[in-house]
Amino acid sequence: MNSHSDNNDKRPITHDGPASKSQESTAHSGVPLSNCFFDYKHVGGRFFGLVSISIISLLGCIALGMNNPKQFAFSWLFAFTFFLTICIGSLFWILVHHGIDVEWSVGVRRQMENVATLFPVLSLFFIPLIFVAPLLWKWMVIPHGSSHALLEKAAYLNLPFFWMRAAFYFLFFSLASLWLRKLSVAQDNDGDPKYTVMAREITFASLPFFGVCLTFAAVDWLMGLDFKWVSTMWGVYIFAGSALSSLCVILLIITALRSVGYLEGIVSERHYALIGQLMTAFTVFWAYIGFDQYMLIWYANIPEETTYFLRRNTESWCILNIILVLGHFLVPFILLLFRNPKKRPAYLCGIACWILLMHLLDIYIVVLPMIHPAGFHPSFLDLLSLIAIGTALAAVFLKRLGDVPLWPLRDPRLKDSIHIVV
Amino acid sequence: MDQHTEHNSQESPDQPHLLAQRDGIKRPPLVLNKRTMGWISSYVSTIVESKTPLWWYISIAITSPIALLTPLLICYLVSTGVGVWGNNSPVAWAWDITNFVFWIGIGHAGTLISAILFLTRQKWRTSINRAAEAMTLFAVVCAGIYPLFHVGRVWKVYFLAPVPNSNAIWQNFRSPLLWDVFAVSTYFTVSILFWYTGLIPDLATIRDRCTTKIKKFFYGILALGWRGGNRQWRHYEMAYLLLAGLSTPLVLSVHSVVSFDFATSVIPGWHATIFPPYFVAGAIFGGFAMVLTIMLPARAIYPQLHDMITPMHIDKMCKVILLTGSIVGYAYLMELFMAWYGANPYERAAFWYRAFGPYWWAYWSMMFCNVISPQVFWFPWCRKNIFVVFIICMFVNAGMWFERFVIIATTLARDFLPSSWGMFHPTWVDIFTFIGTFGIFTTLFLLFVRFLPMICMFEVKAVLPEANPHYGEDH
Repeated sequence: MNSHSDNNDKRPITHDGPASKSQESTAHSGVPLSNCFFDYKHVGGRFFGLVSISIISLLGCIALGMNNPKQFAFSWLFAFTFFLTICIGSLFWILVHHGIDVEWSVGVRRQMENVATLFPVLSLFFIPLIFVAPLLWKWMVIPHGSSHALLEKAAYLNLPFFWMRAAFYFLFFSLASLWLRKLSVAQDNDGDPKYTVMAREITFASLPFFGVCLTFAAVDWLMGLDFKWVSTMWGVYIFAGSALSSLCVILLIITALRSVGYLEGIVSERHYALIGQLMTAFTVFWAYIGFDQYMLIWYANIPEETTYFLRRNTESWCILNIILVLGHFLVPFILLLFRNPKKRPAYLCGIACWILLMHLLDIYIVVLPMIHPAGFHPSFLDLLSLIAIGTALAAVFLKRLGDVPLWPLRDPRLKDSIHIVV
Repeated sequence: MDQHTEHNSQESPDQPHLLAQRDGIKRPPLVLNKRTMGWISSYVSTIVESKTPLWWYISIAITSPIALLTPLLICYLVSTGVGVWGNNSPVAWAWDITNFVFWIGIGHAGTLISAILFLTRQKWRTSINRAAEAMTLFAVVCAGIYPLFHVGRVWKVYFLAPVPNSNAIWQNFRSPLLWDVFAVSTYFTVSILFWYTGLIPDLATIRDRCTTKIKKFFYGILALGWRGGNRQWRHYEMAYLLLAGLSTPLVLSVHSVVSFDFATSVIPGWHATIFPPYFVAGAIFGGFAMVLTIMLPARAIYPQLHDMITPMHIDKMCKVILLTGSIVGYAYLMELFMAWYGANPYERAAFWYRAFGPYWWAYWSMMFCNVISPQVFWFPWCRKNIFVVFIICMFVNAGMWFERFVIIATTLARDFLPSSWGMFHPTWVDIFTFIGTFGIFTTLFLLFVRFLPMICMFEVKAVLPEANPHYGEDH
C-alpha cells in the first residue's frame, strides 16, 4: 500500500551496482535487487549458433525461393505472421498492465517489453514480402477495371495506401513498445512514480491506435489474401490468437529465466496460477470468436462468404481444421481447468508449448490453403522461414536481455506483485 | 513501513507534483472513513429494519400504477391480437424485439459484476454486486415478457419447450430463436441461484437482528438455517465459486445467442460475424449504465452508502462504460467499413439507409449516445462529477435502446425490393407497454431496497483492511 515510499533508494542501477549492494537494498526496500541482470554466460556460444542458423536458413529460403517464389511468399508470410502476432500480443499485455493498473504482472512485465520491442527487427522481415507482394495479394496484379469488386474497393486496396498503412503499423507498434519500455527502464534508476503515470497516459493514447493497427494489419495481410472475402470478426480473431500465444511465450521466457536462477522471489507459483487462469480465459475467448465466425458464416451460407471455409474444410485441410478445433480449444481447455496443476511451471509450460504449436497451425491454416487448394502440402520453406525469423528474433532478444534489469526494479507496484494473493 | 512513509513525505514537502503523481499510484480504500465491521452490518440492516420512509411510499405509488400498464396492455393484446402493436410487413420485428434485447442487455451487468469480477478478484465489486444482480433479475423479467407475447398465441407458448405433443410437432433446434429460449431461461435460473446463494449469510444477519417474531420467522425461512459455522462457510465459498464459474459462460452466451437471432440470417445489416462479441460488449455497456442509473439515486437517498459506494467505485464503472462503449464503437465502424469493403450493393445500401435514410435520427442518436458521449469519461473530472456521470448514463441507456431499434426496425424497413419497403410507427399500445416495463423494473427494485440488504455486508467486511490476516503486522 505504501510501496511508493520504497522508492527513495535512488542509487543508479549498473551491472555490478545492485549486486554488490544487494544485502542493503533488500533490507531497505523489502524487494530483492540482487541478481537482476542477465548474465551472458548462460547463453555462451549459443548466441552465435542462433545467428548462424538464422543466416543459413535465410540463405536456404533464398535458394529454395528462387525456384518457387510463390511458395516462398506464402511460407514467409506464415512465419512472419506467427511472430507478428506474438509481438502484438506482448504489446497488448503491456497496454493492459498500464491501462488497468495491474499488480500481478509487474514482475513479468519487463519480458513482455523485451518481446514487444522486437517490432523494429520484425519490420525488417517484412521487407521480403515487399518483393513478393504481387504473388501474395492478387488484387495488386489485377488490371485496372477488370474486376468490378476490386474497382469498388480501390479507395482502400491501392498500392500507395497499402504500403503507407504497412509503414504506419510498424511505426506505431515500434514507437509504442519502445517508448513504454524506455519509461519502464528509466524507473529502474530512481523509482519515480511519474514514469508509471506517464506510461499510463501513453497507454491510453495508444489503445485506439493499437485496435486500428491490429485490425487493419490483419485485414491487409491476411484477409487481403482473398480480396473478395470479408468478415467483420477478422481483427478480433487474430487478436484472440495473439493475446493467447504471446502469454505462452512470456510464460516460457520467465520459466527459462527461473530455471537458470533469475526472478527468484519475484515470480512465484502464484503468478503461474494467474497466467494459467488468463490462458484458460483466452483459450475460451479464441474458441468463442472462432466458433462465432465459423458458425455464422456456415449458417447463413452466403456464397461470397463461405469461400474461406470451403477452402479450409475440404481435402486434407479439413483434417488440420479438426485438429485445430480439438487442439487449440478442447485439449488446453480441459487441461487448464484443473486448479492446482496450474501452479506447476512444468505443467503450464507443456500446455504453453502445445498452444503455441496450435497457434502455428492456426496461422498455417489461414495462410497456406491459398496456394494449395488441393490439400495440405508441406514445404521445406515453411519450416525454413519459421527458423530464419525465429532464430533471428531469439538472438536479438537474448542480445538485449542483459542490457536492462530482468524485472522493473523500482516499480511502485512491485512489492504488491510479489505478495499477490491468488 | 509507516515510519518510512512519514520520513519520505517530510523529505519532499516542497514537491507537490510528486505528491500528485503519488495520488495516481496510491490505491484508494474500498470503504471510506475507516468504517468498522459492526457499522457496516448495522447500517445496511437498518435500511431494511427501520420504518418505511415516506419517499418509498411516494415512489412506489408512482411506479406501481405505471407497472400495471404492461399487464393491462398485454391482456388487451392477447384478447385482441398482435395487430394492436405497430408491427407490420416488412417490419415484423419491431418494438417488441427491440425492448426484449434492450432489457436483456441490461440484465448482463449484474452477473458480470458478480461472476467475472469475482473470478478476476476485483474487490471493488463487493459493494455493488448485490444491487446489480437484483437489477439483472428484474431486467430479465422485463425482457421475458416480449418474446413470450410476440409469439402471438401465448397459450401455445409451451410449444417452445422440447415436449413432444399429440400433434407430433417438434421444435426446430436449428433455429436461434429456440436457442434464445434456452439461453435466457438458463441464465435467469442460474442468476437467481447465484443471487440467492450470495444473499443467505446476509439474510441470516437480518434474521438475527429482527425484533418481531413474524419478521424473524420470515427471514429465518429465507436464510435456510444459516448458522455461520465453519463448515457452512466452506460449502458456501465452494458453491459461490462454482456458480460464478457457471455464470461466466452464461453471461457471454445469452447475448451471443440473442445476436445469433440476427446474425444467422442473410439480411444485409444483420449478418455480421462480429455480432456476438459486439452484443456482449454492448450489453455490459448498457448494463453498467443502468447500474449507475439506479445506484446513484440510492446513494443520494442513503448518504452513508457513500462510504461503501465510493467515488472510486463510480470511477471504475465509468471506465468500464468507456471501454465497452469504445468496443461498441469499434464494432459499429467495423460493420461500416466491411459493408463498404465487401462491395455488396445490398450491404452497402443497408448501412446507407441507416445513416441517411428515413431513420437517420435513430442512427445518429445511437452514434452520439453510445460512441461519442462516453468519451467524456477519458477525463477524470467527468468521472468524479456525479451529475456528468448520471447524464452520460442516461445517454447510454437511450443509446442502447436506439442501437436495437436501428438494428431491427431500420434494417427491416428497407427490404430487398423497394416495392416492399415500409415504415414502422409504434401504436399507443407499443409505447405504454414499454413504459410499463420501466414501472415493473423500478417497482421491483424498490421492493428489493425495502426488504433485502442492498449491499452484500459480509463481502464488504471481507475487503476491509482489518479482514486481512496480516492486518497491523509490520511486514
